[in-house]
Amino acid sequence: MVGEEEKRGEIVVNEVNFVRKCIGVDSSQDDLWGKLICTNFKVSFVTHNSLPQQNFRYVHRLLGEHDVPLACVEQVVTVNDAKGKQKVLGSNQKLKFNPTELILYCKDLRILRFRFDQAGPEGAKKVCLAIAHYSQPADPQLLFGFEYAGSRYYNSSGERVNGVDPGGGQQTALFDRPSDWDREIKRTGASEWRVCSVNEGYVVSPSLPEYFVVPASLADQDLKQYACSFTGQRIPLWCWNHPNGSALVRMSSISDPQQQRKLDQRICTAITKSHPQRSDVLKSDLDKQLPNIQEVQAALLKLRQACVIEPFEESEEKWLSSLEASRWMDYVRAFLKHAVEVVYSLEGKHTSVILLEEEDRDLSCVVACLVQLMLDPHCRSLLGFQALVQKEWVMAGHRFLDRCNHLKKNDKEESPLFLLFLDCVWQLLNQYPSAFEFSETYLTVLSDSMWVPVFSTFLFNCPKQRADYSRDFARSRSIPLGDQALRFPPVWDWSQQFSPKDQTLFNNPLYVGKSATCVQNGAVKSFKRTKKSYSSTLRGLPPALRNGQLLSEVDTLPRRNSLVLRLRPELGGGAREPCESPCERFMRERFSRPAEPQGTLLPQLLPSHLALWRLYFLRWVPEARIPRGGPPAAYHKLSLLVDEIHTLQSRLRNYSSGPHNATSSPSALTSTPSSRRPPPVPAPAPAPAPSPILALVPAPKPPQRPQSLSQPDQQQQHQGRMYFRVSSLALPGSGSGSGSGSGTPDYLSSSFPFSPVGNLCRRGLLGTPLSKLLSGARIWLSTETLANETL
Amino acid sequence: MPCLCSQSGVAKSVFDFSEDVGWNLQGLRLKVSGYKDIIYICPFNGALKGKVFITNYRLYFKSDGDHVVVLDVPLGAISRVEKMGGASSRGENSYGLDITCKDMRNLRFALKQEGHSRRDIFEILFRYAFPLSHGLQLFAFLSQEKFEENGWHVYKPMEEFRRQGLPTEKWRISFLNEDYKLCDTYPTILVVPFKATEDDLQKVATFRSRCRIPVLSWIHKDNQAVIVRCSQPLVGMSGKRNKDDERYLELIREANSTPKLTIFDARPNVNAVANKATGGGYEGDDAYQNAELVFLDIHNIHVMRESLKKLKDIVYPNVEEAHWLSSLESTHWLEHIKLVLSGAIQVADKVSSGSSVVVHCSDGWDRTAQLTSLAMLMLDSHYRTLRGFQVLLEKEWISFGHKFASRIGHGDKNHADQDRSPIFLQFIDCVWQMTKQFPTAFEFNERLLMVILDHLFSCRFGTFLYNCESVRDSNHLRLKTVSLWSLVNSDTSSYINPFYTEESSRVLYPVASMRHLELWVTYYIRWNPRIRQQQQSPVEQRYRELLALRDQYLKKLQELQLSDSSPSAHLSNSSASSAFLCHAAHHAPAHALLIHQHTHTHTHTHTHTHTHTHSLAHSHVRLQMFMYIR
Repeated sequence: MVGEEEKRGEIVVNEVNFVRKCIGVDSSQDDLWGKLICTNFKVSFVTHNSLPQQNFRYVHRLLGEHDVPLACVEQVVTVNDAKGKQKVLGSNQKLKFNPTELILYCKDLRILRFRFDQAGPEGAKKVCLAIAHYSQPADPQLLFGFEYAGSRYYNSSGERVNGVDPGGGQQTALFDRPSDWDREIKRTGASEWRVCSVNEGYVVSPSLPEYFVVPASLADQDLKQYACSFTGQRIPLWCWNHPNGSALVRMSSISDPQQQRKLDQRICTAITKSHPQRSDVLKSDLDKQLPNIQEVQAALLKLRQACVIEPFEESEEKWLSSLEASRWMDYVRAFLKHAVEVVYSLEGKHTSVILLEEEDRDLSCVVACLVQLMLDPHCRSLLGFQALVQKEWVMAGHRFLDRCNHLKKNDKEESPLFLLFLDCVWQLLNQYPSAFEFSETYLTVLSDSMWVPVFSTFLFNCPKQRADYSRDFARSRSIPLGDQALRFPPVWDWSQQFSPKDQTLFNNPLYVGKSATCVQNGAVKSFKRTKKSYSSTLRGLPPALRNGQLLSEVDTLPRRNSLVLRLRPELGGGAREPCESPCERFMRERFSRPAEPQGTLLPQLLPSHLALWRLYFLRWVPEARIPRGGPPAAYHKLSLLVDEIHTLQSRLRNYSSGPHNATSSPSALTSTPSSRRPPPVPAPAPAPAPSPILALVPAPKPPQRPQSLSQPDQQQQHQGRMYFRVSSLALPGSGSGSGSGSGTPDYLSSSFPFSPVGNLCRRGLLGTPLSKLLSGARIWLSTETLANETL
Repeated sequence: MPCLCSQSGVAKSVFDFSEDVGWNLQGLRLKVSGYKDIIYICPFNGALKGKVFITNYRLYFKSDGDHVVVLDVPLGAISRVEKMGGASSRGENSYGLDITCKDMRNLRFALKQEGHSRRDIFEILFRYAFPLSHGLQLFAFLSQEKFEENGWHVYKPMEEFRRQGLPTEKWRISFLNEDYKLCDTYPTILVVPFKATEDDLQKVATFRSRCRIPVLSWIHKDNQAVIVRCSQPLVGMSGKRNKDDERYLELIREANSTPKLTIFDARPNVNAVANKATGGGYEGDDAYQNAELVFLDIHNIHVMRESLKKLKDIVYPNVEEAHWLSSLESTHWLEHIKLVLSGAIQVADKVSSGSSVVVHCSDGWDRTAQLTSLAMLMLDSHYRTLRGFQVLLEKEWISFGHKFASRIGHGDKNHADQDRSPIFLQFIDCVWQMTKQFPTAFEFNERLLMVILDHLFSCRFGTFLYNCESVRDSNHLRLKTVSLWSLVNSDTSSYINPFYTEESSRVLYPVASMRHLELWVTYYIRWNPRIRQQQQSPVEQRYRELLALRDQYLKKLQELQLSDSSPSAHLSNSSASSAFLCHAAHHAPAHALLIHQHTHTHTHTHTHTHTHTHSLAHSHVRLQMFMYIR
């Protein structure tokens, strides 16, 4: 163990040497030898061998190449070939045989396999038991995050440990203070709504945040009174306001049947009063229309089975139907569809909407977020998205601790709702690739971060629980209480996990942003502009579109009194009566116009137009990897172009900031003053040394932000916003230089930035069924079957 | 709805209908019939009343009222016209015409029962949609369109063979088929083993179905392994052998000392066996000892036709929603795609590892064309360029006698013809799957593939007409019709994939797994108005915007440098920037940089077009910029 790890509170529990990590190639020749270590944070495999076929990896600051956090371990399976035995290990269990191998099923869909042929049998057994035990902590305080936060406190006197960077995380609004809510009210123009602090100290509701937003017409006194009639004493929460004044509100069920009608009416009246047109309120019952958390969990298990557990070749034939049978895609579609209906009410009908859910802590989080993502371009920026998750998931009290099942206490409570939400976001991103500031890598990494149990974001069921647990832990460690005592970093502090360079993988080079307008109270303005441009696009379609079907069939809506309504086609089995709901019509109208990345995003809901999130679900499957292909190939090319644009921008800025600055800029200094003129023949490239021009890349984020241009920030010199940089390529040396330099790098694949090498699916990399490697234990059961086995 | 060509505005000047006038096609008078008060029963919008115009090229419908619905269907796309209802039919709109199209849609028109309007329309449609059944000429022979470039010059067999490095010491060019006497469905110029005499070829021809002897399609520049294509051997029930054929294959094997020649029989094993009954069969182990036979399990044209029919059922007019994925699975369309692709991967893999291969199916003009052309696309980056792809189609499909006329049924009323099959569509789908998996590897974009498919049916161009070269020659096709490549190459920028990165030596292996194969929704589901119709993929569109932005900045920088160039104080600066500019230009597709004309390095034909030879373009730009700076 290195000092760095101890500093952050990590201790080795058990370790064993001479372990072989199976790489899954035909033979065992690529397997790695090393030490298997179980700490209170992770399962670590330390080796001096390097993986075959891999020369790229993004570096996780807390985890090594072969490491898995304990919280990410879903199931620990031990096998003894000779005896033909296997056992799924739980916490505090005994193992009657010496394991010859260990298989770890991970929550991020990885499967790792270690063999102990050369390791000491007792040591191997101990490590297996330790992993099983520590991956299922009995007490929340045993989650590594507490040690981590504690060590942060202890070490905070000196230099910053754990790479805490005041940047990243703290720009994201956490909604734990009234000012964040105030800003949100202003941003959305929700003038008839106010921040309420009745729940300070969590005195009214244990699951609500201390501050939230309510209709201005409701007094604190009333709210306190109403609270007791709601499930979990949850006063209805304001989420967001549409520029037309319609509000999105989420509400738990009214537990007191006698109060129901009265209370219901009062809430509705108050919301109506807060609407500029006093328009009606629509209630949308999520429990009735959407799958419940158990169904979502079952869907993921089946999907996982199909993606990573079933043998690749054998499952090919039935791939589509097993996808369908998992119902995962159905559920993704159901949530998107529901959100679209809410969008229609808010935007098409100008009505406020209440999302109703029994506890208001699960389905509402998904729907509320999706609605805002579709309607509010601010939420599609990186900071906006993070604030959105913070607002609708973390602060609204989504039970991350239970849903992640970090304590492995109650499997019935486990549900991948957040992953489902991210999949929905991915579908939007897939359909509107330039509407989001972040990339699909960001979404994938965000979902993986759920299993790195150090972030305040995913460790607790609600803000109160966080406060309570922190207090208890602080007391037990004699950490003085107070604001600064035990601060868990939010996941948004990405520097905890990744270097600034690796964080640039989050940036979407296609993004068409208006970051500048969104930062200042300009969102309302930009909305109006968006609306205007809708109508203007209708009037002034470009001729190219006029000519085509866009204006033809697509654009024609049956109007009242038009021919359409009078003519009723009644052909036997022929033309179907177009039965279109108003919402469908609303969508069709929108689809007839060109998409606008900054406008309302309505997803295409036909099942043929939803796709499997391949990066997430197939990234660990060696057979599904497309070498130097897949979306990353285009991403690479795009990044280079965008980086080039940033570089040009900074060049131009240098020019506009006057000749004096230009001469004093590093580029001028490094270039040779003797060469008065460029040679007449093709450029002699400033060969291996980085080009002086390219060194000068203070590409600001966002680029439009006004700043003093004369001082190129030294810090930013070697950072661009793009992961792939033009500067990393050799300049064209000779005139005949073809595009070889800009070719797709070898390490790119459809799994980028992840690599399936080192992950074990059923078959080897070269197609040998794993069963051949499993000499004794021929039965390789699925996790589900294994779980039922008692030994 | 218009065919894609008019949608894209490619031939706007020629083919645009401005209202109801100007139905002229470059001097050619079209026969116009107009009909009022026709009701188009749109499956999405219900019944719409409007006017119908029929020319000898298209069926055009325009609805009355404010919200105009337009249908624009090339008559070539029509596979079947049926009358529905009779004079006594009751019920609204039960009397009219039912039109089935080859491009994944059906159209219904309701007509008035009074008068004889239906008979009129029906007859005109029937006559011009199926000209060959009425002793008329296909439209391509009437069209007098003019384009900047003559697409018939795209493919010159000798040039293409020369590009491949042929002839060699082991492979020679034979003109034996000059008059189509050896094989009437093969092209005139063939490449055969050097040691095989013309007499040998004649003898081999007797043992191969329809005399389609094994000839070279492609040779690997480094290892000299070849792809050879042919038809099945005429083994028959009795298991006949032919010494000449055996020796001939041995010559192919010997040419680059391949230890064991691999014969890929595209068919499923059972089909190959069944073919013995009709005199065909496959190469037996005993007869061909230095060869190994691999069956690729690709089904025949009938299976593919049924599969596409099922696919149409679940996407048109409405997308099957309840069980989309399992319905898609039950069409087996993607599974067939998978088999074709994985067959081609095996071919490409063998060849790139140095082994020569022979590919055949039954007649060697359907599955064989799919396999050889896809394998060549994987092996040879030239075929992934806009022009190279045209060459590939001209060579492996058109010149080697894929029976386009029979498979598509151009101008033929016999819609139930068992010879029709979407083999070429399936191939284009495979290409599309590859472009999806390798977004930077192809110089052309999805739009090219769509245009190719649209004009596969339209009969506006001569490119896909007739079954083989001998018939094309006797009909003077290249003299009397225009090539589709004339249209494409006169407007290349519309078909360029901005992400294209030239990687000349790269072999492209797609992953032929259901995990990655997708339904090509932008083609198969394009008639559905509930789907946003996009001119080009949003990613491509955005990339083009970014390119434009980059160029704008470049231009600005150049201007600044120009105005800056006199005082010597900043010279160092500008020299540095020029290095950068060159660098930037290096990454720029030529079309974005306003470069004039360049000769394409690969084709020695047309110097007057905008092409995109990057290396040349770069040095040119670089020179230009230095001139600027001076």
